[in-house]
Amino acid sequence: MEFKLEAHRIVSISLGKIYNSRVQRGGIKLHKNLLVSLVLRSARQVYLSDPCPGLYLAGPAGTPAPPPQQPGEPAAGPPAGWGEPPPPAARASWPETEPQPERSAVSEAPRVGDAVPAATVTGVGDVPQGGEADAAEAAWNRVDGPRQAAAGEAEDPAGGWGVFPLGSRAARRPCGCPLGGQDPPGTPAATPRAACCCAPRPAEDEPPAPPAVCPRKRGAAGVGGGPASCPAPGSTPLKKPRRNLEQPASGGEDDDAEEMETGNVANLISIFGSSFSGLLRKSPGGGREEEEGEESGPEAAEPGQICCDKPVLRDMNPWSTAIVAF
Amino acid sequence: DRDRDTQRERERETDIISTVEFNHTGELLATGDKGGRVVIFQREPESKNAPHSQGEYDVYSTFQSHEPEFDYLKSLEIEEKINKIKWLPQQNAAHSLLSTNDKTIKLWKITERDKRPEGYNLKDEEGKLKDLSTVTSLQVPVLKPMDLMVEVSPRRIFANGHTYHINSISVNSDCETYMSADDLRINLWHLAITDRSFNIVDIKPANMEDLTEVITASEFHPHHCNLFVYSSSKGSLRLCDMRAAALCDKHSKLFEEPEDPSNRSFFSEIISSVSDVKFSHSGRYMLTRDYLTVKVWDLNMEARPIETYQVHDYLRSKLCSLYENDCIFDKFECAWNGSDSVIMTGAYNNFFRMFDRNTKRDVTLEASRESSKPRAVLKPRRVCVGGKRRRDDISVDSLDFTKKILHTAWHPAENIIAIAATNNLYIFQDKVNSEMH
Repeated sequence: MEFKLEAHRIVSISLGKIYNSRVQRGGIKLHKNLLVSLVLRSARQVYLSDPCPGLYLAGPAGTPAPPPQQPGEPAAGPPAGWGEPPPPAARASWPETEPQPERSAVSEAPRVGDAVPAATVTGVGDVPQGGEADAAEAAWNRVDGPRQAAAGEAEDPAGGWGVFPLGSRAARRPCGCPLGGQDPPGTPAATPRAACCCAPRPAEDEPPAPPAVCPRKRGAAGVGGGPASCPAPGSTPLKKPRRNLEQPASGGEDDDAEEMETGNVANLISIFGSSFSGLLRKSPGGGREEEEGEESGPEAAEPGQICCDKPVLRDMNPWSTAIVAF
Repeated sequence: DRDRDTQRERERETDIISTVEFNHTGELLATGDKGGRVVIFQREPESKNAPHSQGEYDVYSTFQSHEPEFDYLKSLEIEEKINKIKWLPQQNAAHSLLSTNDKTIKLWKITERDKRPEGYNLKDEEGKLKDLSTVTSLQVPVLKPMDLMVEVSPRRIFANGHTYHINSISVNSDCETYMSADDLRINLWHLAITDRSFNIVDIKPANMEDLTEVITASEFHPHHCNLFVYSSSKGSLRLCDMRAAALCDKHSKLFEEPEDPSNRSFFSEIISSVSDVKFSHSGRYMLTRDYLTVKVWDLNMEARPIETYQVHDYLRSKLCSLYENDCIFDKFECAWNGSDSVIMTGAYNNFFRMFDRNTKRDVTLEASRESSKPRAVLKPRRVCVGGKRRRDDISVDSLDFTKKILHTAWHPAENIIAIAATNNLYIFQDKVNSEMH
């Protein structure tokens, strides 16, 4: 279990580093970001391979048995789906906050709303800053109604984490966006990719995802506002179309005037199955977008800023929200 | 007020030394800093009049090599920090060196002027034209001694050769070409040609998603102009032969040590990344530095290094904290002494380490104000890791990780070392054993 906590902590720290690397002078350092992404992968692997009794990774149609609660985790419930609070690194997504060291909150009863961006899920429409635990929880409940019935506590505490096997085709929101995935451990992580593109995503049996209003094609949560780990049990895992989305990303490169590719950072992104807003940009405030060419014009927010305060955020699980906010 | 403080802090930051390099005779020592400046020190000739100042280094020249730039097209700021300086072998009275930042390499020529012509017929002392009517006789202008003036001028600018950040430059033994390496590519330049270069290594994958390793350092062989080595973030070394092919993606030799599975951790990859590689003066060996060790490799054996020295193994249990505070990404350099019998590298707390390959003895020394008093003798330091603690030991937890010695250099022939400790340069001499042995 300690390995999981450690892994979780390391992932948060790593996220923070990736985020900060965007604003460093001299541009994104390929070497360092590559190393960070390797650490992330290791952490993910450890996390997944560590047989933790409390770990529940819902599979497809997942109605897997609710996991025995991990110590300190809230009793079932979708909010508990996240069990462990989204990495504090999520805080980093907010310009005014600095990445905090992993809170030991993991051992507290983490409510989704606890950490950071969970608050954003409140569906209040705007993007709240702190964790409004209660509001968040309420939001979870509200939003998650039906699914809750389906698998209730099924949201695995480490659900967000479970997403890790990235890419997986499994458990992805229609938008294919981040996490949400509940992959059975061992699912080969498809190397999913950078671009989380809501638009082309086949929304399988999900309601059409709220349009990717977010300029970065952030995953609108489609999954009925899947809080916690999205396609809540009961939903069909979504396959995420891969390469065709990536193409623009890597194709975004010119061959003539070659840009410094930070595509390796995209590996990182693939871990979370979402594109980091502006993460691949070399500097805040401009520059060619490396990931994908197409961006919704109107929403083209400054890189690094919260992509939007649209309701779309409400539906996203905190983890992915953090990423979005990047 | 706060602006002043921030400015002062920024000034201090620009003084951080980022590279140190002796020239081939050891007479000159060049340092580059984060602010893009190069400072060259010259060793004073020993003189009987001032026996105490024999062989000390004084500032010889200071100039601004690189300025911060902004690439508007890519919206990318280019740091002016000098990443590397390499001296060219001296071929005439002038000295030349290459200095590079992340993107641009420059060739600087350093010349001395210690005489000036006097006694012109048509111009007066200030250079103004004389009234011809006052010229009654002709004189031959003569060269009169003047105060030494060191002039530095940029002779070549090698720009636009690199998409990624340049991490190394190395002058070939042919004295005509040199190479520059960034994260994914290595280019070969001719010293006289700035508008083109040859790409000799390209490890960029077709799909950047597949990227797993980058180039971290590279160097030409000291004697064989066709051979060079480059190190990777995965801990491997590749020796390449330029005679084999125009593009040396395929290595001639691959030096790699299998990972010790018992040491596996989240950070295994990071700590195995090679931060520096140096050929021995003999050309027979290579020295590499990764986060916790220095290793000596024999060019004739690819399977594993012939020697491994622990620099600060006590950090192995602290890797997570070091990852958090970014120290794990510090790139330490390493150096050989002139006879290849001793190797040196830096560590934290302003400590640096020397390993004698023959006696297998090692020593930890500290570069600090106290130790730099004239004629002070450096006292060996010790880091205690639990167990018995001696009086002057430092405990691991009280190490200052902001004081890191990343850059060190050893005089090519004598026991003189240059240590860069943040923004201070220390030069130590071993007067007792000034000859190499």
